[in-house]
Amino acid sequence: MPIHDQGYRRYAGTRAPRGRAWTVITRAGMRTFFGRRAFLGLLLLSWSQFFVRTVQIYAAANLPQAAFFAPTPETFRRFFSIQELFVFVMTVYVGAGLIANDRRANALQIYLSKPLTRVEYVFGKLAILMTLLLLITWVPAILLLIVQILFAGSFTFVRSNGYLLPAITLFSFVDVVTVSTTMLALSSLSNSSRYVGMLYAGVIFFSRALFNVLRFVTGASTLSWISFSVNLDQIGDVIFRLPPQYDTPWPVSLLTIVGLIVASAIVLERRVRGVEIVA
Amino acid sequence: MTPSAPAIVAANHLSKWYGQVIGLNDVTLSVPPGITGLLGPNGAGKSTLMKLITGQLKPSQGEITVLGESIWRNPALYFRMGFCPEQDAFYERMTGLEWVTALVRLNGVDERQATEMARRALETVDLTDAAGKKIGAYSKGMRQRVKMAQTLAHDPDLFILDEPLAGMDPIARRKTIRLIKEWGRAGKSVIVSSHILHEIESMTANILLINQGRILAEGNVHQIRELIDEHPHTVYIKADQTRALARQFLADDGVLSLTFEDEAVVVQTGRPDAFYARLTALAASGEFGTIHEVTSPDDNLQAVFQYLVKS
Amino acid sequence: MTPPATHATPTVLASTARIFDLSLGQMLWSRRSVFLAFLVGGPVLLAAGIRVVSAADRLGLPQINGARVGGAALFGTMIWLLYVRVIVPVLGVFYGTSLVADEVDDKTITYLFTRPIPRAAVLFGKYLAYLVCTVLLVLPSVVFVYFLVAPIGGTIGEAFPTLVADLGMLAVGLTAYGAVFAWVGARMRRPLVVGLVFTFGWEPVVLVVPGYLKRLTVAYYLQALVPHAMPRDSPVSVLLQVFSGGPSVPTSLASLAAIAVVALWWAGRSVEKQEYVLEQ
Repeated sequence: MPIHDQGYRRYAGTRAPRGRAWTVITRAGMRTFFGRRAFLGLLLLSWSQFFVRTVQIYAAANLPQAAFFAPTPETFRRFFSIQELFVFVMTVYVGAGLIANDRRANALQIYLSKPLTRVEYVFGKLAILMTLLLLITWVPAILLLIVQILFAGSFTFVRSNGYLLPAITLFSFVDVVTVSTTMLALSSLSNSSRYVGMLYAGVIFFSRALFNVLRFVTGASTLSWISFSVNLDQIGDVIFRLPPQYDTPWPVSLLTIVGLIVASAIVLERRVRGVEIVA
Repeated sequence: MTPSAPAIVAANHLSKWYGQVIGLNDVTLSVPPGITGLLGPNGAGKSTLMKLITGQLKPSQGEITVLGESIWRNPALYFRMGFCPEQDAFYERMTGLEWVTALVRLNGVDERQATEMARRALETVDLTDAAGKKIGAYSKGMRQRVKMAQTLAHDPDLFILDEPLAGMDPIARRKTIRLIKEWGRAGKSVIVSSHILHEIESMTANILLINQGRILAEGNVHQIRELIDEHPHTVYIKADQTRALARQFLADDGVLSLTFEDEAVVVQTGRPDAFYARLTALAASGEFGTIHEVTSPDDNLQAVFQYLVKS
Repeated sequence: MTPPATHATPTVLASTARIFDLSLGQMLWSRRSVFLAFLVGGPVLLAAGIRVVSAADRLGLPQINGARVGGAALFGTMIWLLYVRVIVPVLGVFYGTSLVADEVDDKTITYLFTRPIPRAAVLFGKYLAYLVCTVLLVLPSVVFVYFLVAPIGGTIGEAFPTLVADLGMLAVGLTAYGAVFAWVGARMRRPLVVGLVFTFGWEPVVLVVPGYLKRLTVAYYLQALVPHAMPRDSPVSVLLQVFSGGPSVPTSLASLAAIAVVALWWAGRSVEKQEYVLEQ
């Protein structure tokens, strides 16, 4: 009768190099969301504008009666404005629970007891939200540009608006980074994803409402920097070389956005810890 | 318990599934009055059965009656039932007394009487001193006891206790076991679940074994034990020369397997009587030094359960 | 221990009252109240700021669209932009969708659903607690705002009747939005996302669509009750003023009452029938 060794055996396989552990978090998160039908529905809905714009570009390129539909650089700016609603919904749907759910399940301590640094954890979570948001902003916008070239059969539009490709890319990233870091910071503040989602909605809509009241009172829009979304609008206009809609100088808006990102990073640094520090 | 007594819980071809996951699979059972232990490993379907018994879930198929009535959407039955859930969930900002009082008030009792009932329940579980403290500040054992208090405060006829001893210290455990036995003696019925078998064994001989959503066996533990006589027995031996002793067993036809655990050998034998006779002879010979420990997990309910699960 | 003499199921009304008792304190002293304080405190701080600035200003009057106006007009603007469009719907979504979902998330629903009360009473009791909690916090905030801004370029008594109408309108709005989102919360797995899409996606869009679609909103009826002119703060507002032939006050009140009753009835039915599987 053979007697088998029942002792502990050490893992003898290969290990991923340090600094890549965040990809595990991101991959797991992405798999979770792509496995949900509700998410896929939301994703499809978020692409509805792309499909409508594709028809618009096709009509403008092929039907003389629809020539007035022809895309302009402003079309791409408007595309982003309309996408903001989907960005908001996607941010709440995906982002609210990213850290809050881990906190609720006490999973943060487990994550951080593995060979995973806090930075990798945060970056992994951030990458989930950023990737999914880029999927409904940068990707469709770039595809629209390609669709324009394909349907027009020439590079004239792209060549004469050479700044569009970098503008789309830059604005997408500014938008996505701002939104994602803010949401992630809020998500680290609570154990309830619903509370986080509501907090985010409150920040977006209430700050805008406050600005609107102040605009009425002062008769000017110099205080637009107090609104989260208006700052992004302002920066968007500048990036797309359009006249800004508000009186606030765009560097002030940019500074506010940078401040918001820095504040979010500080919140994340304080809140994402494996051990609670009790003063 | 009399054989003719009506069942307190009866299930007929009861199934429950969550999407594509089966929680409970075609269960037919009849739980007699008295104390019944519901045994099974984690994920066996104990909590699903408990939730069906307490009317929190609706059967996907089949039916379940509690105290002779269908439980789903029948709130009047809760006057006669007390449920201690498994989850460690509370209104953390309330004190133990406030919480139990508030829940008892939902039984239609006025504030004064509810407070009195809550106080007595807290006294029963030895929480009088902590009654005024916020539940958020309670230890794990205290939280478990305050859950028990809300279960018993309205003096129900049937107690449904889902893992009630989890997190309690040994003294509180002993006290709770005694309490449950007292309820049984007072003519109350108790269904208590656990995956730690000796806990159940210390409360009752009447058990329900559940695994993978199915009832494996029900009835008296001794009757169930008879069912497994043909199954192999496990013996744990710790000696000065364990390996030399093990080599002796290799020649024995009845030995089915040998494994080493630290300084001991665990032997599985199909012929326990012959094995014990040989072991006694080897010990008497003194060739293998002192034999420090001979125990058989078969003496415990754990073995009954393991045999039935594996078979 | 003495059990109650009879074992008849308590009525929905009696059970609702007990759940209300249990929930009101919980709701008032919850972390949600911090959010609520932030929301209702914001307009008060803003009003105080405007009052201080206008007192320092020689003319002492704020501007609306560049023209100097009195405090009453400013109060109307704040009611529209802050309370009607943001605070009331947001509170409705936040509290309404949480009535049952919070108990499910915290796994405390078991204690309520294994007591001899109709399940619907849990929702109704919590809904009443929400209503009392929000009304008690929102309405004083409006009163503060009124007393801070109304005296600017006018008198407190001048616009007092509109304040009463505003308070009533906001209470009705909280009732209707809360009921709708109580139903959403009882029925759906992702109630918050649905609630936010309804409030900030569906309502603003369909309000400017000609036809009957706008009747499928709460805002359509609620906005008809606002005793102030709608501010022209965006192209959408301008369109609304051009196209919207809002319903009369009695129609709006009746419609909002119907919305609240039907939504609550549905919500109660959902809670009665729904199974709540708690995550382990």
